[in-house]
Amino acid sequence: MAGGRSTRPVTIVTGFLGSGKTTLLGRVLSEPSMSNTAVLVNEFGEVGLDHHLLRRVDERAVLLGGGCVCCTTREDLVEALLELLDLDQRGEIPRLDRVVVETTGLADPAPILHTIFADPVLQHHFSVDLVLTTVDAINGDLHLDRNPESVKQVAAADKIVVTKTDVAEPNAVRSLLCRLGAINPSAHVLEAAFGETDAAELFRLDGAGYRAVPKAFDGEPHDAGETHSVSLTFDGSVDWTAFGIWLSMLLYARGEDVLRVKGLLDVGESGPVVVNGVQHTIHPPEHLNRWPEENHHSRIVFIARGIRPEELLGSLEAFRGLLGARPLPLGAEQSVPSS
Amino acid sequence: MCVLCGQDFVAQVHWTDRHLEDRAREAAPGSDPVALQGDRRRDRAHRVALTNEILRHYGLKLDDWGGSKYFLRDGKGRSELVQDLGSLWPAAERLAGRTLDPLEPALLGETLGEEPAFVAADGG
Repeated sequence: MAGGRSTRPVTIVTGFLGSGKTTLLGRVLSEPSMSNTAVLVNEFGEVGLDHHLLRRVDERAVLLGGGCVCCTTREDLVEALLELLDLDQRGEIPRLDRVVVETTGLADPAPILHTIFADPVLQHHFSVDLVLTTVDAINGDLHLDRNPESVKQVAAADKIVVTKTDVAEPNAVRSLLCRLGAINPSAHVLEAAFGETDAAELFRLDGAGYRAVPKAFDGEPHDAGETHSVSLTFDGSVDWTAFGIWLSMLLYARGEDVLRVKGLLDVGESGPVVVNGVQHTIHPPEHLNRWPEENHHSRIVFIARGIRPEELLGSLEAFRGLLGARPLPLGAEQSVPSS
Repeated sequence: MCVLCGQDFVAQVHWTDRHLEDRAREAAPGSDPVALQGDRRRDRAHRVALTNEILRHYGLKLDDWGGSKYFLRDGKGRSELVQDLGSLWPAAERLAGRTLDPLEPALLGETLGEEPAFVAADGG
C-alpha cells in the first residue's frame, strides 16, 4: 500500500520502430479519462505528444553482475518514477492514476519490469499491470523475421495492438494475427486502424492483464522454428514450493531463452497463484482468494527460444514427484519461425 | 547488517519467498506471531527437503541455517551461505562446477521425489 492506496499501475508500451506506438499514445492521451496519467518517453518522435505530465528519460542502463541484459536496472526510469512519486505524495500534481512508459523501438521490455520489481522503493509504490505491444500490420512479419527484439516484445505482451490494419491487405493481417497467436497465445489482440482505439479498452485489464487466464493456441500449426510456445495444465494441485524451485532453477539456467511464462496455478488453496515472468524477471506471484473463472485447473503458457515443448514437458514430468502432479499439454503445441 | 543480531537486512525479497512476506504483512493485528513463525519454519524445511532431491544429483546438500539463510555444501567440505533460491543456483554452480539445468537429460532420466515403487504397488 502506498499512502493509503494500492500501488500505482504502470503500463509499458513497446513495439518495433515505426509500429505506431506514439500515434496510438497521442490518440489515447487526448481522452479526458487519461488526464491523470503520466507518460515517460525515450524520445520525442516526429509525432508530437502533447500532455502535461510528459517526461523525457534518457536511457541509462546499469548492467548488474552476470551481464544479463534482462536484469539491467534503468537508472533513468528509477529517477523519473521517484520524482513522480514525490510530486504525487506532496500533492503537487493531481492524484496519479497511471504511468505509461513508452520504450524505444529496439528496446527489450524486460529491464523495465526488472527495474520496477527490484528497486527497494519503487516495488512498494508501483506495479506493472500491463505490457502493450504495437505491431505494424504492413511490416510486422518482416520485423518478426529479422529482429529478435520484435519477437521478445510480442512474447512479453499482455495485449498486442495491430496497427495500420486500414492500409494492409486483409490476408496479410489474418496471417500476421495467426503468427502473433502462435508466438504468444496468452496475449489479447486488438486492431487499431488509423491509431484509433478506445483508451478504456486499451487499459482495461479484464481478460488481458497479468492475472488473465492464458488460453491455448488454437490456430494452424506453424513450421518448426526457434521460438516455441506450449500451454499446459496439471492433473492435480501443484506444490507451490516445488514449482518455485523448478522455475527458479530453469530461469537461472535458461532464463534468457524463456521469453515468457504466464499462468494461473492450482496450488490446492481456495484461489490460484498468478505466475507471470519475462525472461529472468518474475512479477511478485499473487495468491488469489478465488478463481476468476469456473474452470479451476492450472493453465500456464511458456514461450521459449531454442527450448522445445517436449523438453519443458519432460522436465516437469521428471519433477512430478516433487510437484505432486503430472503436466498435461493443452491444445496444439506449436512453434513459430523467428528468422 | 544488524550489529546486535548479525542478520542482514534484506531489501529484496526473492519471488519464491513473497508468499511468506505477504502472509506476515496481511496478518491481523494481534495475530499469533508464533503461528506465523511455525508456518515459515515448516515452509523452509519443506523447501530444503525438496531442493536436496535435486542437489544430491550434483553431490551437494542444503541445510537451513538459523531460519534466515541456507547452508550449501559439497562432499569436499566446501560450503557457501545463500539467502534464497535466487542466490542458491549460482552458488551450486560454483560448487558443482557446472550449471544445474532442469532440462538436462541426465536429470530427466530419473524421476525426482517419486515414492518407492512398492508403495505404489501396495496402493494398487
